[in-house]
Amino acid sequence: MKLTTFLLLAACLQISAKGVSQQISISEKKVPIRKILREVSRQAGVSVIYDETLLAGARPVTIDVKNASVKQVLDLCLSNLPLSYTIDGTRIIVQSLPEERKAADTTITITGRITDDAGDVLPGATVRIKGGVAGTVTDGAGKYSIKVPGNGTELVFSAVGYATVSRVVNDRTLNIKLQITQTALTETVVVGYGVQKKSVVTGAISSVKASDLESQPVTRLEQALQGRTSGVTIASSSGQPGSGSSVRVRGITTFNNNDPLWVIDGVVVDNGGIGYLNQYDIESIEVLKDAASQAIYGARAAAGVILVTTKKGKAGKLTVSYNGYYGTSAPARKLKLLDATQYATLRNEASVAGGGGIVYADPASFGKGTDWQSQIFNNNAMRQNHEVSVSGGNDKSTFYSSFGYLKQDGIVATDISKYQRVNLRLNSTHKLSQWATFGENVGYAYDKALGVGNTNSEFGGPLSSAINLDPITPVIVTDPAVAATAPYTNVGIRKDANGHPYGISNAVGQEIANPLAYISTRLGNYGWSHNIVGNAYLEIAPVKGLKLRSTIGSKIAFWGGETYTPISYLNSSSISSRTSFNRSTNQGYNWNLENIVSYTRAIRKHNVTLLLGQGAYMDNRTKAINVTFNDVPADNFDDASLNFKVASDKRVADGSEGADHRISSLFGRINYNYDEKYLVEGIIRRDGSSRFGANNKYGVFPSFSLGWVASREKFFPQTNAISFLKVRGGYGVVGNDNIGDFAYLSTIGSGRNYAFGNSGSYQIGYSPNAPSNPDLKWESTSQTNIGFEATVYRDFNVSFDWYKKATKDILQNPRIPAYVGAISNPAANIADMENTGVELELGYHKTIGEVSLSVNGNVSYVKNKVTNLGRGISYLSGGQNFQSTSYPITRTALNQPLNSFYGFKTNGIFQTQADVDNYVSKDGKKIQPGAVPGDFRWVDKDGDGQITELDRDFIGNPTPNVNYGFTINAGYKGFDVVLFVQGASGNKIFQGLRRLDILNANWQTKALGRWTGAGSTNDYPRLTTDDKNRNFTNPSDFYLENGSYCRIKSLQLGYTISSNLTKKVGVEKFRVYILSENLLTLTKYTGYDPEIGGGVFSIDRGIYPQARSFMFGVNASF
Amino acid sequence: MKRKHIPYILALATGLQLAAGCSDKFLEVKPKGTDLETNYYKNATEAFNGLVAVYDVIGWQSNGYVTKVGAMDAGSDDHLAGGGGQSDVTAFQVFSNYTLTPDVGPQGDLWAKGYSGIFRANVLLQKLPAVPMDENQKKRFVAEAKFLRAFFYFDLVRLFKNIPLTTTTISTTDMYNVLQAKPEDVYAQIETDLKDAIAETNLPDQVPVATEGGRATKGAVHALLGKVYLNEKKYAAAAAELALVNGATPGQANAQYGYKLLANFADLWKSDNASKFNSESILEVAFTSTSAGTWDCVSCTEGNVLNIMTGPRGYKILKPTAPDFVSGWSFLVVTPSLFNAIHFDPRYNATVLNLDSLEANGIASYEKGYKNTGYFLAKFAGRASNTTTGGGTKELNYPQNLYEIRLADTYLMEAEALVKNGESGAPGTRSYQLLNAVRARVGLSPVMATDDNIFDERRLELAGEGHRWFDLVRTGRAATVLAAKGFVAGKNEILPIPLLELENTKLEQSKEWGGTK
Repeated sequence: MKLTTFLLLAACLQISAKGVSQQISISEKKVPIRKILREVSRQAGVSVIYDETLLAGARPVTIDVKNASVKQVLDLCLSNLPLSYTIDGTRIIVQSLPEERKAADTTITITGRITDDAGDVLPGATVRIKGGVAGTVTDGAGKYSIKVPGNGTELVFSAVGYATVSRVVNDRTLNIKLQITQTALTETVVVGYGVQKKSVVTGAISSVKASDLESQPVTRLEQALQGRTSGVTIASSSGQPGSGSSVRVRGITTFNNNDPLWVIDGVVVDNGGIGYLNQYDIESIEVLKDAASQAIYGARAAAGVILVTTKKGKAGKLTVSYNGYYGTSAPARKLKLLDATQYATLRNEASVAGGGGIVYADPASFGKGTDWQSQIFNNNAMRQNHEVSVSGGNDKSTFYSSFGYLKQDGIVATDISKYQRVNLRLNSTHKLSQWATFGENVGYAYDKALGVGNTNSEFGGPLSSAINLDPITPVIVTDPAVAATAPYTNVGIRKDANGHPYGISNAVGQEIANPLAYISTRLGNYGWSHNIVGNAYLEIAPVKGLKLRSTIGSKIAFWGGETYTPISYLNSSSISSRTSFNRSTNQGYNWNLENIVSYTRAIRKHNVTLLLGQGAYMDNRTKAINVTFNDVPADNFDDASLNFKVASDKRVADGSEGADHRISSLFGRINYNYDEKYLVEGIIRRDGSSRFGANNKYGVFPSFSLGWVASREKFFPQTNAISFLKVRGGYGVVGNDNIGDFAYLSTIGSGRNYAFGNSGSYQIGYSPNAPSNPDLKWESTSQTNIGFEATVYRDFNVSFDWYKKATKDILQNPRIPAYVGAISNPAANIADMENTGVELELGYHKTIGEVSLSVNGNVSYVKNKVTNLGRGISYLSGGQNFQSTSYPITRTALNQPLNSFYGFKTNGIFQTQADVDNYVSKDGKKIQPGAVPGDFRWVDKDGDGQITELDRDFIGNPTPNVNYGFTINAGYKGFDVVLFVQGASGNKIFQGLRRLDILNANWQTKALGRWTGAGSTNDYPRLTTDDKNRNFTNPSDFYLENGSYCRIKSLQLGYTISSNLTKKVGVEKFRVYILSENLLTLTKYTGYDPEIGGGVFSIDRGIYPQARSFMFGVNASF
Repeated sequence: MKRKHIPYILALATGLQLAAGCSDKFLEVKPKGTDLETNYYKNATEAFNGLVAVYDVIGWQSNGYVTKVGAMDAGSDDHLAGGGGQSDVTAFQVFSNYTLTPDVGPQGDLWAKGYSGIFRANVLLQKLPAVPMDENQKKRFVAEAKFLRAFFYFDLVRLFKNIPLTTTTISTTDMYNVLQAKPEDVYAQIETDLKDAIAETNLPDQVPVATEGGRATKGAVHALLGKVYLNEKKYAAAAAELALVNGATPGQANAQYGYKLLANFADLWKSDNASKFNSESILEVAFTSTSAGTWDCVSCTEGNVLNIMTGPRGYKILKPTAPDFVSGWSFLVVTPSLFNAIHFDPRYNATVLNLDSLEANGIASYEKGYKNTGYFLAKFAGRASNTTTGGGTKELNYPQNLYEIRLADTYLMEAEALVKNGESGAPGTRSYQLLNAVRARVGLSPVMATDDNIFDERRLELAGEGHRWFDLVRTGRAATVLAAKGFVAGKNEILPIPLLELENTKLEQSKEWGGTK
């Protein structure tokens, strides 16, 4: 028996609510009743639910009506058949005539009500006797009545979209609650400019639904994707609250900006701009991974497209929900650093080895000294999030509105690390007439962030300072005698609340200063932003199957900050000798306009949808102003003000404007399927971009894809083993114009000034920035994707994809030789790169008795390789800089992954002088004549008998090539458990936590295992202040560590109070939960956190670690 | 289809047409606040702006505080890098103790400085012929650009020896095929450029100080050419060229170019505006306190960073008699060697700031920085009287100019050229007059103009001004004098070609640095 629901969705377009009052015209001769019902469904925009077996024997129908009502049509058709129908809102349920019309029998009658887990009734659900053919469907009130042979009979309850439940009868009344499941057959996914049934999608799309988001506290949207979607690599750029993450779809696509295109309800928003969204407002997130699905976004889709759909209201009763949590965060891990005694001991050793004297006569006298990490870490950082939403509507209008508030304290230097956000959202749709719908989605957010300043930077910042500062320096100086001597007599010495100066190190200097003193100079400084992102659309459906839709979207943003700089003396290199107060304000404006025409037509089993569209997009219209007042007569942030009218020469003002980035596009798509069995899709998009010269202004991006739902073939074995199988494949080309403005032109830059004469003023000089490249053209990424989706043994869903993605003509500003003399590097199409990967997603859903279990997992592998760098070049000059060496630590080279770590290879440590003497080249000369025992033996890669820069080699890949995640949901009665695990592997991390150039910086306890004599260690070289062998200052594999990790991202235990109880107080649903985020991380990495994002992943300069949080939360609806 | 739908469909269809029709125009975005190279250099003002950009490079200061004078001082025997620690401005430290390697050292910045100047000069020289403007003014610009190009090439060839030579901008297609030129070819180009500038009648002998101070004069071109000849050991030519600058009678004003030694040596280090471009100044590096530079971009300030760098750390005035220095970063501390040499010289007080003595006498106190000697470079150490009261960071907005070439220098260079060319240096000779004019200005009695005497005089007269290292190398004394600092003969006479310049290019490392060139 097959239960079919016709959800009329003109495959690509959001439908307007129409309903049973729709006027219907049908003219058919001798067609199956099914076809009439389908037509009614289509014209009226309602679902018709029926049991196919009921219709099997029905006679063909002839009908000819014009502008008839639904009721009239149904009455006409069904009058001579043993069928009745009920109308429930926008659903029509067809069922057999009441039982009493048939012969009576002696069996017992079971009645009951079927509801979903929210307690809403489920009309049209099927009730069957297990193993038998008899069955019925529920009526509009969700009620059923069925005759069964007697007690002990097993009934099977099922409904489309819900997990099937079976129960043994031992009572006359049996109420059943069904849980929603998404199966491959019914699930819909959002695609570019529309929605498609997942079963007919031919591209590679991963999605995350609202239900997945509710189980995890998500501050920023990217985090929702981590570990939940295959083919997506996400690494947080910082654990600072409100920070973004680096998102890579199917690996690294280009040398440039690899941020995917974010489309929020149809509005393109930049990667940094998604922070305004509130997790509870999200209905679904779809990641378009292959060119076949991306091509509709053409020119900006190469790095992947992420579609975010926010929640919409539903007609019917008003729903009010509250979601919130409250909890605390703490650092998951601290570094093991030397204490004062150990530090002094090692300093002495290094000094003596370097030819100096003993530095600290009595190391033990220092005791443990200062634990700088505990000074800046907060083990009890508050975190909370609250959201209230109201949704509902009627036949004419629906709405969804929400208010959210999030507040989170950072775990590092909490006084200057905080984040708050307020969100508002209003989405609504209005049916203007039978054929016209108007709607809008608007989100607004205000946020305020206090940041620690330098994060993941070796040049200062509280973390870097805590790691590098010696433990001998006291936090504060309490001895008045010491406080009265240098350096504590300097102007601007920072003091604590009791007037004690913060300790200043005499061993470690430069940017590394007492973190508490540093914090005291930044109190109050903050950044803020207001973001309004919204769209409005008008959709008209003048004739059957045809839809026209115009959408205008816009993002308006304002952001800025206020910074007060006090007079400060942190150490002899970090001095600020005057106060200043800076205020900056920025505004940005983006808009887009899209007009789309689509036409859907089904002729027998041929289903065709055509879509044509036109779009115009503008972004980057930014304006900035900032003003600094010097010598403001205030000694703290709160008192600082621009009302202090300092002399005009102490007011420094600046401003700037961005250049419009405009794109003009035409696009078209055809979807065809035969009986949902053979699937074809073709897309073409032509984009023009303001970023290219006349020679190459336009790019054309085609794609096509094919699919075959094998399981719908007659010959396909009808077994439980494989109940659904779809094979699909596609090829397409997408583009990228993300290279900045006017890159093809040589522009003239200012600021090359010189002071002629002795008046004190100066002249503004102008010169070209970089040579021009008029032939600059689009970067294009072509991708082949082959995959399949299957349902195995009913409960398992499998999806597999293989792809090969090749990016050509990568837009780059390669470092050009300095002898060219240009101040910046010209853009060029220089390189090609290739990614090959596989992705696997598995799902398992099962309800066994009262236990429901669902497991979703995914794993992906990607291999990245640079295939061309042009002009016979084998590697790009430059790379990621590190501290004060000009040896870059990464190199982009042919046949290697992008930005591979590059440095010297160590081959153990010389244990004895004989080892040094025996390390000779082919001609017998010592390779490291200057080395002494305890020094690294460097690999002489080029075999030239000496260690030079030519001996550097590729020593690791910073980007993980395996990403995985799985979620286990289990429920029993009111209890539920959610476990979400996520991980990555295959990368190395460059642990650059210790300043290579500050010899006296503190060490990690690893240094206790340094080389101290023959046989002591082969891994950690001797300590010396005279490191001639560059044991520590050469970038080498010594600094690389395995970056693999596996993390329990969240573990949640929830309890839903029975709705029978809560309803008495007007509460639909009330769920409480406790949740831990980042409970456990398994990794060999010894730094704070193996998850290190950024332009190039996995370079740890002292990253702000992810917090471990424990929270208590509530989900309630009224 | 109902009739009332038609207008909507028409409207939408028209919208499509319009959007498609005007898309080309829609995609034209005009750059704001900047101009395209192709549209620039269209009048005298824009040409002048291009010229300013070339001059800008003379005052090159990197974001890492590397300057030519700072680096050359650090490498000499008169100074140690100093600063806050052994890695404070690493480029200075490794040059000071001769542990520099192709990847670490001041070479990257000095290389980039030279070629930035050459690029801007080449751009201007290529653009000028087509600029509609007064021809005489244009000729002056050409002469100035050539002079500046020669100046940059001279530093590059002295520092690196094996360098690319180009007198046009390098196109993107050719930029990886550039080869290093022979040093003699570079010198030949320098001479050509300087001679062209001398031949240009529109290049003035003198400029009005108030408005054009700092711009090239014919005197400056002669001085530079003389200096180039001296480096090439073309002593007769050098002496002849420098004689034009120094005038007929050493010690007397040169009426043509307006040069004359200042009466008071200490006045050379006054950094107020009125003291700029004085009569002793031939080629001066201009700075100003009015550009409001901040830490955000050290290289963007027009202030002189050497002032804050050379000041003593934690300087505190304890008695009103203490000099009004500001607390600085204690870079380029004076070595005991220079201290001993200059201690009893009349120029001592203007050159060296002896903080140990001030502290011992309770006049001022300070903090001992890295490699502290107690002696600081008084010529440049920032003065409280000179600290900006305007916008920006005080530390980065000191206005003191530096002398690239001043008259005492050209006196001594001419004397040296004459002596090396065979003149005895005895009383009555011109070399004797030149040397002793410099000495007489500070009240020293005359001495014979021997090569050594002239050399010693240069050290004391020009201490801290960035000449010493060049002088040691030029005269072959470096290996001996700098041995104690780690100087290796046959290697450290030049800087290594910066590591990144060898990547993907046809450049070769110099033999001195283990390369093939």
